[in-house]
Amino acid sequence: MRIHVRRTGGFAGIERVAEVDTSGRPDAREWHALAEQAMGDGRDTPPVGVPDGFQYQLTVDGTTVYCADPRLSEAQRQLITRVLKEGS
Amino acid sequence: MDSFTPVFCGIVPPHLLDKLARAGDPAVAAAARRTLVADAAHRTGRRLTTVTGAPAPADEVVPGPQRTLYDAGNTTGLPGTKVRSEGDEPVQDATVNRAYAGLGATFDLLMTAYGHDSIDGAGLPLDATVHYDEEYGNAFWNGEQMVFGDGDGEIFLDFTGPVDVIAHELAHGFTQYSANFTYFGQPGALNESVSDVFGSLVKQYTLDQSADRADWLIGAGLLAPRVSGVALRSMKAPGTAYDDDVLGKDPQPATMADYVRTGRDNGGVHINSGIPNHAFYLLATQLGGKAWERAGRIWYDTMTSGRLQVDASFADFAAETVEAATARYGRGEEREAVVKAWSQVGVPAN
Repeated sequence: MRIHVRRTGGFAGIERVAEVDTSGRPDAREWHALAEQAMGDGRDTPPVGVPDGFQYQLTVDGTTVYCADPRLSEAQRQLITRVLKEGS
Repeated sequence: MDSFTPVFCGIVPPHLLDKLARAGDPAVAAAARRTLVADAAHRTGRRLTTVTGAPAPADEVVPGPQRTLYDAGNTTGLPGTKVRSEGDEPVQDATVNRAYAGLGATFDLLMTAYGHDSIDGAGLPLDATVHYDEEYGNAFWNGEQMVFGDGDGEIFLDFTGPVDVIAHELAHGFTQYSANFTYFGQPGALNESVSDVFGSLVKQYTLDQSADRADWLIGAGLLAPRVSGVALRSMKAPGTAYDDDVLGKDPQPATMADYVRTGRDNGGVHINSGIPNHAFYLLATQLGGKAWERAGRIWYDTMTSGRLQVDASFADFAAETVEAATARYGRGEEREAVVKAWSQVGVPAN
């Protein structure tokens, strides 16, 4: 499973992109559960969000959903944090 | 509370005052602390006196801010724990004190320069939360309050550092209660630009700088030392604020010729804001003197005219600034400078 996160907006307006490929990872099962939950909480179109809030685009195996700060589900927040930290 | 040390009167930025308040020299610290805790009514009164040259009537009660600071404790729970209310002494946490002072500076500018009571013109309490989330490299306005992250330390430092960042967030509230521009595309870029304009004006006001002395930077001091850049945006020279291996290059255009069409960042609201930002810079430097006086007044009048649609384009906004300049100053140099500034960035203003 390839989990791709694109973050845009924010006060700085600087984009960040990161991806985690779970194949072969010992914690793959954990990633899959988190990703499924986060994707299920997402929307088909980008929400307008709040001024200077981050906008997120989550893509898992070709399917894309959207979400925005500060209204993230706990799964979305965890997934985004982990992918941006551990992904490349 | 009536004694002020002149050196701190309106020329020292709040964050510096905050630092001074914790200084080793007791005299310096005490003076700075007095200034920090002085309520806005006093500062407003003093400011009005310097502007008008006449004392305010003794029985006039000038409204002050109603600030409340919250600490999210590095969680995402809002608003968090209340840590400082209006009139309270400074607390140990410098981040809280900086945000408190920054809100006060923004309130002061709106009140003394434009007679606007808080961001809604009706004394709205100002709430802000600091220490939001962990290593959170952002600040935002959620429709009701400001939220500030600590920064990741690698790229961004504490978002309460620069006073223009604090004022930028608060100005989103001002826009919400005035022109209420939709946060997408050109009206979104206008929304962003107005926040940068008032952010910079609050900084210039606290430093008592004239337009030719100001740095016209947004977020100077926000970037960590390892980042190659001076700030996040430059109103004077959009596109030149940073050029870094990790961050990339400042993508802002200065004129319509380089307008960026994109779906990201709500249609490039933080990118194309460079165009109206630069128009304001051109106007302010053309007029000279204190930018918040005539140039800022024209922008303020435009925002509060009630004639702009929420989906206003750059051209709609430009035309309204010409109207506002004419209404306030007649068909003189101000109007001419407004038309010229928009023309220089490629936006038709008539």
